[in-house]
Amino acid sequence: MEYGKEQKTTGSEFSNAITSRLGGETLTRCYQCGTCVSSCPVARLTDEFNPREIIKLSLLEESARVLSSDSIWLCCSCYSCQERCPQKVEIADVIYAIRNIAFEKGYIPNIYSEFASAILDDGRIVNISKFMEQKRSTIGLPPLTPTGVDALRKILSATGFDKLQKEVEEA
Amino acid sequence: MDEVKVGVFLSDCGKQLSEILDFDTLIDYVKKIAGVSFIVRSSEFWRGKGLQSIVDAVRDGKINRVVVAESLVKLSDVKIVEAVEKAGINPYLVEVINLEEHCGWPHRNTPSEATEKAKAMLFAAVERAKLLEPIEKLEFPVLKSTLVIGGGIAGMQVAEDLADLGFKVHLVERAPFLGGLAARAGRFFPTDDCAICIQSPASDVKTITHTSRKCVYRSGLSEIPNLEILTNSKIIGVEGVPGNYKVTIEKKPRYVNEMKCVLCDKCTAVCPVEVPDEYNAKLNTRKAIYMNIPNVYPPAYVIDENICKFHDCAKCVEVCPTNAIELNQETEQLKLDVGAIIVSTGFEEFDASVIKEYHYGDYPDVITNLELARMIDGFGPTAGKIVKPSNGKPAKKIVMIQCVGSRDRRWNPYCSSICCMISLKHAMLMKSAHPDADIAICYIDIRTTGREHEYYYEQAREMGIKFVKGRPTEISRDPETNRLIVDVEDALLKKILELEADMVVLAPAMIPAEGTKELAEILGIELCEDGFFKEYNAKLRPTETKLRGIYLCGGATFPKDAPTSSLHAHSAAVKAAKFLTTGKIIKDQRTAVVNEDYCGDCEFCPVTCPYGAISLEEISEGHFVAKVSDILCEGCGICVGTCPLNAIELRHSRPDQMRAQMRGLMSVNGTSKPLVLAICCSECGHAAVDSSGMAMMQYPANVRIMKVPCTGILQVHQFFEAFKTGAEGVMIVGCKSDGCHYEVGVQKAEKKVELTRMLLKEYGIAPERLEMFNMVFIEGNKFVEAAQTMTERLEKLGPLQLMSVS
Amino acid sequence: MTSYALFLGCTIPARQPNYELSARKALTKLGIELVDLANMTCCAPPPIQSINLETSLSIAAYNICLAEEADLNMITLCTGCFESLAMANATLKENEELKGKVNKILSNAGKEFTGSKEVKHYLQVLMNDVGAKHIKQSISKTLSNLKVASFSGCHLLRPSELLKFDDPERPHIFDDLIEALGAKSVEYRNKLKCCGGLLRGYSDDLALNIAREKLVNTSRAGADCISTLCPFCFIALDIGQLQIKSKFQEEYNMPVLHYAELLSLALGIDPKELSLETHKIKVDKIIDKLS
Repeated sequence: MEYGKEQKTTGSEFSNAITSRLGGETLTRCYQCGTCVSSCPVARLTDEFNPREIIKLSLLEESARVLSSDSIWLCCSCYSCQERCPQKVEIADVIYAIRNIAFEKGYIPNIYSEFASAILDDGRIVNISKFMEQKRSTIGLPPLTPTGVDALRKILSATGFDKLQKEVEEA
Repeated sequence: MDEVKVGVFLSDCGKQLSEILDFDTLIDYVKKIAGVSFIVRSSEFWRGKGLQSIVDAVRDGKINRVVVAESLVKLSDVKIVEAVEKAGINPYLVEVINLEEHCGWPHRNTPSEATEKAKAMLFAAVERAKLLEPIEKLEFPVLKSTLVIGGGIAGMQVAEDLADLGFKVHLVERAPFLGGLAARAGRFFPTDDCAICIQSPASDVKTITHTSRKCVYRSGLSEIPNLEILTNSKIIGVEGVPGNYKVTIEKKPRYVNEMKCVLCDKCTAVCPVEVPDEYNAKLNTRKAIYMNIPNVYPPAYVIDENICKFHDCAKCVEVCPTNAIELNQETEQLKLDVGAIIVSTGFEEFDASVIKEYHYGDYPDVITNLELARMIDGFGPTAGKIVKPSNGKPAKKIVMIQCVGSRDRRWNPYCSSICCMISLKHAMLMKSAHPDADIAICYIDIRTTGREHEYYYEQAREMGIKFVKGRPTEISRDPETNRLIVDVEDALLKKILELEADMVVLAPAMIPAEGTKELAEILGIELCEDGFFKEYNAKLRPTETKLRGIYLCGGATFPKDAPTSSLHAHSAAVKAAKFLTTGKIIKDQRTAVVNEDYCGDCEFCPVTCPYGAISLEEISEGHFVAKVSDILCEGCGICVGTCPLNAIELRHSRPDQMRAQMRGLMSVNGTSKPLVLAICCSECGHAAVDSSGMAMMQYPANVRIMKVPCTGILQVHQFFEAFKTGAEGVMIVGCKSDGCHYEVGVQKAEKKVELTRMLLKEYGIAPERLEMFNMVFIEGNKFVEAAQTMTERLEKLGPLQLMSVS
Repeated sequence: MTSYALFLGCTIPARQPNYELSARKALTKLGIELVDLANMTCCAPPPIQSINLETSLSIAAYNICLAEEADLNMITLCTGCFESLAMANATLKENEELKGKVNKILSNAGKEFTGSKEVKHYLQVLMNDVGAKHIKQSISKTLSNLKVASFSGCHLLRPSELLKFDDPERPHIFDDLIEALGAKSVEYRNKLKCCGGLLRGYSDDLALNIAREKLVNTSRAGADCISTLCPFCFIALDIGQLQIKSKFQEEYNMPVLHYAELLSLALGIDPKELSLETHKIKVDKIIDKLS
């Protein structure tokens, strides 16, 4: 994340929205070479996901198309693209930034809103069942230390995450 | 000491200026200024009766200081200063000011205010003139000889040009043979003929025909009388001054006598040591005694001393029919005295093995353009056949990858400019030789910008060469078939392709030749961020450096093709010739001078001087003081601005002279506005003011202009002085931050302005009263805006309250 | 005895007691003390990063603060946790402005990130603190008959600029540690490519297709098993194999073991103590190869 380091270019609304967010600062460096696409394990298997295209459409201000697409949720975060990009575009992080905008605007796949609820509930993204917790002593594992749910909730409130999730639930 | 008598000459510019400024009032005012003994008003002073009146006044001893208010447009000060010198006084006792562009025109709507300002301008000029001192003319000898570092095509051509012009030239090449990259490249675009080709000499080398071009071996280069060629030689030290450089060269032994070797090749047959031939991209081997290609200079073999067994073997000595092999040769150190130095060290291919996903160096069938060039070359290791290095079989399917390490923020962010053309040339040569070859070029952009270049791209498509718009992510190898697989997305198809290839040719970035950094340090010249040598000015002076007498040409400043290298070489030759031809450097002594009593040996000025003109000298045991070299000093005054002890001064721009000007300019207001002092650098800053005046743009008359050589001369206390003399606001007007004519001056001024603003704040004075403005000549409107902004700002702030006003 | 604060994450305690058991036993046996700190939370992996990066960065920083307060470096088992925490650590250490912004958020929870501690994956600890040599000397059973396809996953190596774990193009640490157990680490096509694990739940089809490629390539290379470092990779390739079987009618019989499990077995720990029944693809034939 190049927060605070990147020169803000005079792009337009959508690309500005991305470059001014954490993770999206390097969007405008892209010169469409396609290295990311040939590195991508998902792009190999489906036409539906093409990171170069996502960036291109973002630069061309096609915000509705990008934000409402299923495509932006198909990145598997392997960071191969970011590793190989000759312009040091933080592609995986840019996709996170775009997802962040999509979330705020209400374009959310169900499973992600489930993740959000889970973390707000008990500070974990995957529920550890009572069964598993009790099983620990029988197989020789020490008991689980308490989860810092309170601290987490304070953080989530400070970033507005909890409000985001509420909006989603109400939507 | 002679009494100072100032003559003031007022031009009314064909009676146009007097329509705005009240000349009677001005003359009355000037009469009353102490020291003024002579006043003349005329239409113009740069020629005719006007000029004659100045000359007469000087000759008759009526005046010994001259102040002229003339218009800028006719560069009047040149003629005036010439005439004054002829008339008998030192030409630097003249002060020319511009009442037309700096007063009349910009304030024509407020003529009475303009007149008041003109009074201040004249007063300032007279006060400064009274403090002027004679400046001597200096002459430094220049040897009519030059060193050329690097014997590639640029080096050879610049050496030839200067030798033809009659200068003694020493062409020094660190490899055992001349030719550089060209010798390995085979063919060059746009003519598709030999790369190792230069101009014909003009020297009277008998039997050589003067045609447009010649192969190096037939060019007569080696026979030009005043051209000395040293191969196997490198520069290890340079001292001295422009016009008189003392160069130390280390000449490694060839172990073969150049005069005796007849190139019979008997030696290589018996040499027992064999190594992969780097020159031929390790596609074949060579012996310890070898010759690269037989058509460059010198025509003699050379021994690789790192692998030769010398007297433990000496088989070559036994078979050599002319006893040319001399195993006892030793390294020599040569010393040369030259007037100028020309750097033509060229560039080389970036080592692509660091881009691990391409497996260069790992997979033998992944090669570079230069290595391919060796293969295509009929002289080369495969006799012109395109084969896979791994097994020598013909390579039918070839994939070429552009921008390997170029346009890449991880390695070299710039575009290497020639690789698209090189790859197109190679693709076409391969396709012509093997029409059934399947060649694909993977590119991000195809750059064919030069004359006749687009034709290559056209022809390539017509020949059936394929183009894939995409940069491959990696090259992998099928373990069973050993075939290479290139993973690339063709963006135009929006499809990921897995291209199979017998051979992959990379177009690596072109980077500065090895040793560039060290050479820059030895010479005291700068490198740009990309690592290439820095030209004095990219727009206008691409073959010079900021140091007199040191020039650049060819690929040493940036990758370029052969036509551009030639252009560059000839340009450098002209520049060097201009420098050498008179046999002397003539400068005036408007240089910096150190007051040794004050100098505290802090070493700030030697480090800050952009020209390396200041050194430290021991004047008594352990006591060092700064000393300025008149030949190197360019008169910018940045050292003055840096010295914490006021121990260094710039002649003709002394602090007392500047103070007098400030006082003068602030002495008369005449407007109801707060006074603003605009201190402008003599280059872009002052030019922007001129420009606004020439265009008759209007700004208020409370803004007064003072010129300094470079804003870098200014010290923090001088900003405070400006306020004390009556300025309520101070503008510092300089060149663009990255465009200072003296390299770093304006940036130093910017820092000082920042610091002063902090101090002003501490003293309870609004820091906005001081501001730095950067502009260039065509931004006259920017100056006007700045002047108006500052004036409005000061009006809002109200009068300045200072503790003590002098 | 080097001590580390153990960061378990969520997936391992929720679903992979085999990973936790083998890791704890092996590391303890090799002289690494694992301290269980209280009040840790989820590390804020990609699903949370997808929702809001400021939040995920702050959550990661919060967890690192706990280690800073305990004056311990952190060790993770899951490479997903490693990436989330190590990236946060590296990013905040080098960006003052961002650090200030995050600390403002953390102050609500009474924490302040200082950047005084390191976040490591247990593989780093084994390589640097314990050393391949010591491992070699400590094992009582060799795996010399075993051909292992090592799969480090994505988040241990990339983005290499921040994680600085191993050469991202030619990694060798994992292979060196496998060979320290006496096993052979085999080369196979597209070794560094992702397992598709994070797509599970959103696009199961794609996820299975990607996982399948890995199984095809490792089988072709003649591997006896795949060794993983991440619980997601494990799920994708272990449970995934069953799903691939029903979708593609292809059976690979490729056991998937975490390195910690191989290590534990080589160190002579009784397989019955490692909850190996968690594996959907049975590992019996691997245990049989122990000698």
